[in-house]
Amino acid sequence: MANADDIPAHQARRGNPVRAAALIIYATFALLILTIPQSLTNWLNDMNESPVQQVLLRAAEGVQTASHRVGLDIPYRTARATFHMLTGKEDD
Amino acid sequence: MLFPTISFAAFFAVVFPITWLLNDRNAWKKWFLVAASYYFYAFWKIEFTLLLLASSVGNFYTALLLGHLSDGRARRIIFWLAVTANLALLGVFKYYNFFTASLIDALGSLGISANLPFIELALPIAISFLTFHALSYVIDVYDRTLKPTTSLVDILLYISFFPHLVAGPIVRANKFLAQTTRCSRMSDVKLAHSVFLIIGGLFKKVIIANYLSTDFVDGVFRAPADFSSLDLLLGMYAYALQIYCDFSAYTDIAIGVANLLGYEFPQNFNQPYRALTVQDFWRRWHITLSTWLRDYLYIRALGGNRRGRVRTYANLLVTMGLGGLWHGASWNFCIWGLMHGTALVVERLLDLTGAPRSRIAAALMWLVTFHFVCFAWVFFRASSFDTSLVYLKTLFSDGSWRTTMTPLVGCVFVLGALTQIIPARWFAALQARYEAVPLALKVAVPFATIFMIAVAAPGGIPPFIYFQF
Repeated sequence: MANADDIPAHQARRGNPVRAAALIIYATFALLILTIPQSLTNWLNDMNESPVQQVLLRAAEGVQTASHRVGLDIPYRTARATFHMLTGKEDD
Repeated sequence: MLFPTISFAAFFAVVFPITWLLNDRNAWKKWFLVAASYYFYAFWKIEFTLLLLASSVGNFYTALLLGHLSDGRARRIIFWLAVTANLALLGVFKYYNFFTASLIDALGSLGISANLPFIELALPIAISFLTFHALSYVIDVYDRTLKPTTSLVDILLYISFFPHLVAGPIVRANKFLAQTTRCSRMSDVKLAHSVFLIIGGLFKKVIIANYLSTDFVDGVFRAPADFSSLDLLLGMYAYALQIYCDFSAYTDIAIGVANLLGYEFPQNFNQPYRALTVQDFWRRWHITLSTWLRDYLYIRALGGNRRGRVRTYANLLVTMGLGGLWHGASWNFCIWGLMHGTALVVERLLDLTGAPRSRIAAALMWLVTFHFVCFAWVFFRASSFDTSLVYLKTLFSDGSWRTTMTPLVGCVFVLGALTQIIPARWFAALQARYEAVPLALKVAVPFATIFMIAVAAPGGIPPFIYFQF
């Protein structure tokens, strides 16, 4: 099996597992933030208040509002409500 | 900081790129990872980082000294001082109050009133794991199977590296240090393997272990006398699945996260409930602990099977009894370990350690082993020895076949059982297919899985069971 470090640069760019991992990690996080935006807002709300936390919280609230307007959060809210209806569970 | 939380996701989102950006400057990368690991550990209690630092620095200099000294009395004394210091750390924080209380009880039963002092100390998280990591290094250097490293940062990183710091897997010093002396290679990252370990671990912990625990097992073990025989039987099976899904989830995520950073950890679980014998079970359950106990305690310290039959059986019992006690300061853990030790002795006496002669024999061996393991879990899970006895007494005497298990718990129970039934090669085949799909689909798989986990997740995530050890 070829060692990725020995592969020419143009091929390595295509087959670089670290680059692919980075794309998967950040794209997954971004998609989750867009589709379940309230999770980020709740997490930031639970943090100790600080100037950085306030800036991040405002940004997260902006994402949540945008997500809600476009309807990106609908699949999660619908699926969660269906899960609760089927199991009789409730959010805390 | 728990793995299945946004806090950890944010932490990893920062650590991952910086680690790889520093990869060409290996020393900087290691110092950065040490700083990140201490930050990770400080999340529980910042004072404990001093303990982590003291243990690492102390063992680093002791190993250097052991490396410089020629074989002889002084070297032996230094070695035993190091082992005693490491075990004393564990003893004071984890076992002092337990043994003091046991001694007071024992003296009380003899009519002697003893007024021994207790100490109020918070138990540092992961102390059992960091002690075993440190001991592994010092013993290997003393045995001259490993040269002591002259790089302090290597030892700081070996003992504190955040993926394995809190609940393993227990990585051997020689395996880890071999990876710290060079820059990580991009080819070290097994992307599909890591992604599947992480999302599979999240599913096992957040969905299976959590629902089994909060919606069934906790209640059954809290007041076993209030439940039917069927509930207690199902509770025993459910706990077996819960602890597997909980603990293997942690180490799966740890292995996946470490690999994404360019480090390789050993496998820690291999479908343990498929085991045909108890010996086979310990080759599949918490593999890094059982091999640690086998190599350092059973073989190195006690002599293994080289000193005759009776001594071999005694060694097995001592190893498993101490292995049980390693899990926590309670006689229940010791009893659990001794039960496994006894089973290992019985298997040797009956010569059951070889391959079964027929399919029927294999099925019978599996049935007996599985039920023995589940039975022993009762002592591991119950809050006290008395509760274990109430549990077993009610299990065999109630005779009622009603159950309080909800359909949700039933579904989760089946999913937990599938983790043992589905052949491991199916997962390997799935990973191979994942490697070949376009990048967009590579993103879609973890996104869709985590999305579904979030949809079905309970409100809060309780800590991993092995955090207390």
